[in-house]
Amino acid sequence: MGVSGWFRFKGRSLFSWAFTFQRLTGVVLLIYLLAHLTYLSTLLDTTGATYESMIAITVSRQFLIFDILLILCGVFHGVNGFRIILHEFGIAYGYRKPLLAIFIVIAVVVWLYASYIMYSLTGG
Amino acid sequence: MVEFKIRRYDGEKSYWQSFEVPAKRGMTVLEALYYIKENYDSSLAFRASCRMGICGSCAMKINDKPRLACETQVLTLGNTVKVEPLDNFKVIKDLITEFDGFFEKLKAVKPHLIRKDDNYAEPKELLQTPEELNEYYVFTLCIKCGACYSVCPAAATLDEYLGPAAMTAAYRFCADSRDEGQKERYEIASSPNGVWRCHLAMECSEVCPKNVEPAKAVQLLRRKTAFSMLKSLLGW
Repeated sequence: MGVSGWFRFKGRSLFSWAFTFQRLTGVVLLIYLLAHLTYLSTLLDTTGATYESMIAITVSRQFLIFDILLILCGVFHGVNGFRIILHEFGIAYGYRKPLLAIFIVIAVVVWLYASYIMYSLTGG
Repeated sequence: MVEFKIRRYDGEKSYWQSFEVPAKRGMTVLEALYYIKENYDSSLAFRASCRMGICGSCAMKINDKPRLACETQVLTLGNTVKVEPLDNFKVIKDLITEFDGFFEKLKAVKPHLIRKDDNYAEPKELLQTPEELNEYYVFTLCIKCGACYSVCPAAATLDEYLGPAAMTAAYRFCADSRDEGQKERYEIASSPNGVWRCHLAMECSEVCPKNVEPAKAVQLLRRKTAFSMLKSLLGW
């Protein structure tokens, strides 16, 4: 079946969606981490000119949508990951359905709040 | 009339075929398949045996979800019923899938009581309290239908993965107070294709027709395996 087995949703429960998004957000965060480290390497230019020019591009209204999507990935991965860790220790397995719903709500609320903060910071 | 869309496989190519079945109250998908076999196409291949949800032979994907054909009422499925073989298994013909590997994995975890004092000449009664029985009873209800394995994303990407059914069987015996083979099974469970491959999608528990909760068994086995490894590392 291969990796396509991760993306079968027909007839599946919300747990499969959570699993797939955990994987996808994990890949996105890994790519972001590599990009972030590359970005920070511009500090090797001790005049700071390269870093400042990069900041001018990335800290902007045009880039806000990417920041918001990145926050969604980070928040979902963290919150859902915590839920998985709980269950992997054999904790609250009997409450897995309400817990999944609660954790999704937490992830969405935190994401919306963080997005609002980002929006305010970029002069929105 | 209910339309049955069946994904068939003749050994070379896969294709969809539709049949009209006169459904009536109480009719199961398995009965409908027999109707098709007896009235339209005798070459339609599917597995079935007990017809009452005990043998686990007739698990197949019905309207995108793995279910037992003998326990699924046709009239609960709408006017069109889609029937396919289980995912994550090699299809042999039509709805029949290869189960040899699945049963090999079950055998690999030694799903039987292991005792140091086995003496068939003078068998002795092994006593157990109701509390001790409750520790593993739900996991004895597994009928090895393969529904859990067919939805497991870890099994989808790794053929050698033991899978939820085999690890449920392993936990069922590890949690049995009469068993003395835990150490052997923990070694098997902690292999690269064992408990650590589970990524907790928990879909196995959602589709199990017997509500066995394989995902819970895997996590409990994982905990026992981790403690066992920790103890051996610390020399306890």
